[in-house]
Amino acid sequence: MTATIKPQKAIQAVLKNAHVQFLVFGGLLLLLPVIAESGIMKMSTLETLGFVLIYSIVSIGMNLLLGYSGLVSLGTAGFMGLGAYLAAYTVENLSLSFWVAVFAAMVIPTAIGLAVGAISLRLRNIYLAIATLCISEILMKTFEQLDWFTGGTAGKQSQYPTIFGDKLDRGGVFVVIVVVLVLIMMLTHNIVNGQMGRALHAMRSSEVAAQAMGVNLVKYKLVAFALATAYAGLGGGLYLFFLKSSYPSTWSLMLSLNVIAMVVVGGLRSIFGTVAGAVIIWGVPELVLKKLPVIGSISGLPYIFSGILIIVVIMFFPRGLKGLFDIIVDRIRRLSKKKVSAVPGKSADTTEPTEPEVQP
Amino acid sequence: MIIQPFIRSLETGSVYALAALGIIIVWRTNLVMHFAQGSMGMFSATAVAFVLNRAGLPLWLSVLAGVGVAVLLGFAVDFSIIRRLKKATAVGKEIITLGLIMVFLGLAPIIFGTDPMQLPKFITSGDVQLGGASISYNALLNIIIGIVITLVLFYILQNTKIGLAVRATASSEITARLMGIPTRTVTLFSWATAGVLGMLAGVMIAPTVMVTPSFMNAVQVNALFACVLGGFQTFYGPVIGAYLIAICSNFLKLYVSSVWGEQLMYLIILAFLLFRPNGLVGKTYIKKV
Repeated sequence: MTATIKPQKAIQAVLKNAHVQFLVFGGLLLLLPVIAESGIMKMSTLETLGFVLIYSIVSIGMNLLLGYSGLVSLGTAGFMGLGAYLAAYTVENLSLSFWVAVFAAMVIPTAIGLAVGAISLRLRNIYLAIATLCISEILMKTFEQLDWFTGGTAGKQSQYPTIFGDKLDRGGVFVVIVVVLVLIMMLTHNIVNGQMGRALHAMRSSEVAAQAMGVNLVKYKLVAFALATAYAGLGGGLYLFFLKSSYPSTWSLMLSLNVIAMVVVGGLRSIFGTVAGAVIIWGVPELVLKKLPVIGSISGLPYIFSGILIIVVIMFFPRGLKGLFDIIVDRIRRLSKKKVSAVPGKSADTTEPTEPEVQP
Repeated sequence: MIIQPFIRSLETGSVYALAALGIIIVWRTNLVMHFAQGSMGMFSATAVAFVLNRAGLPLWLSVLAGVGVAVLLGFAVDFSIIRRLKKATAVGKEIITLGLIMVFLGLAPIIFGTDPMQLPKFITSGDVQLGGASISYNALLNIIIGIVITLVLFYILQNTKIGLAVRATASSEITARLMGIPTRTVTLFSWATAGVLGMLAGVMIAPTVMVTPSFMNAVQVNALFACVLGGFQTFYGPVIGAYLIAICSNFLKLYVSSVWGEQLMYLIILAFLLFRPNGLVGKTYIKKV
């Protein structure tokens, strides 16, 4: 008996490790291009899922900011757009490599974000939202006007990147996005479980108490905002290489609001929840709502969908999808526990393998 | 040469001032940053354009209909959402208003159609000469509307019982309720007032642009900045901020760069925050434990 349970337990323990979960999740995602190649799934579905993953990267950064420090950034779209245009400019105009492009797409928005954050974070939290709103308006204007950099309203065209001398196709870029997403998930997990995470947690329960314990509030808020901006820039760079073009109209306030919706709907402070939020906010309108018979052709429908979801989630399910998932898991556990106690003669491992064994 | 752009700044300043007043009234009474001020104003102003273009009503009657729509929207938002949010955090409330932006931006084209509409000026023609500058009657009317409404609101706030109730709610909602002030009614009407002010701002700015779902975005951003510039602690600070922003951006557009003037001004305001973080007339904000 013990010999059969021990490997099971070992597997369970391994599966509970967050990094293993992220890797398994990434592995499953890597099957998607294969499925798309075989024709079971449409190529357009893969494309939508690629955008879902890109927005997941961006909203994980936003979750770090909103979930841990209670700050709202309305400049996400602007920073993403800046990342996309920087990547395009680096590759197309400067003929530099993919790596330089991604680096530029991360570093320059972060530098701007740090400057804006340093000014606005010394005050009440809400100033960051207003300051980033204004930065995104400035960036939006830049995207439309600065022809040599962004191609103006006609948009900037690019091509699939070449990595390690290999010219990628759409499926290849999808793989790159999956790899980046898994790395970002791991990095974020380490950040929130490390020293910085502890400081952020302390700030969340009471800023004054955290300050009294020696936590530098402005510093940690600034770092959280810088990370959110870097993720946004990275997401923008990947967006460009996935779509091969970028237009100013993409980077409007609505995109920033959608990213906030992904975090809120997915559940604050949950990495997998954020990905689920991205699936709901971006995937469901693209894959389901737009294909509905009558209402599918209405252009404003996705906005109303996300807007109402934000309001309903904050009013009734403040913990979002993550909270819902926890409740369901809890219910199942309780039900199976009842079953076990009702039938004491049966051994638990055949009915419910996840049930913890009573130690002899 | 100076007078013409100055008068034009006063006109746009009036628009920003009305929108900013709406934001500050909601902020003071609910402690909610009203990011949806622009989009709710856009929705009601689009309703005005819709009634005017489709039903053929005269402008003043359409504006009255718009007032009705704005009041109902304000009531609906407070009654069905905001007052049920007592337990939500400050960020939660802010995010709710962000959700409202999406709802109204999505709803407007569904209800009023996707074609951009036009709103005429209140007074279509005629202008006065003033020190070598020609100013249209409509611009004068807009300036007067802005100033009169602001003054009337300040009079109500400072000299009437209603105003006292609003100010008491603004300083502390719990104490106000203990004193027997119907704070729920105060917040209900603060949302309605904000809605009407946003609608008026929309109707005033609409003749210069087309009525599309995004036509109030600039007003929203400028009104928020007016509040930042003027400080969130007084009702009059944001109004001063609104006129300053309009004057500043108009002159920057005229003398520095017609394309980047407004963006330059945003940067100046950000820099200004470095030196006076609480705004022009703001007091220092102290957080008590």
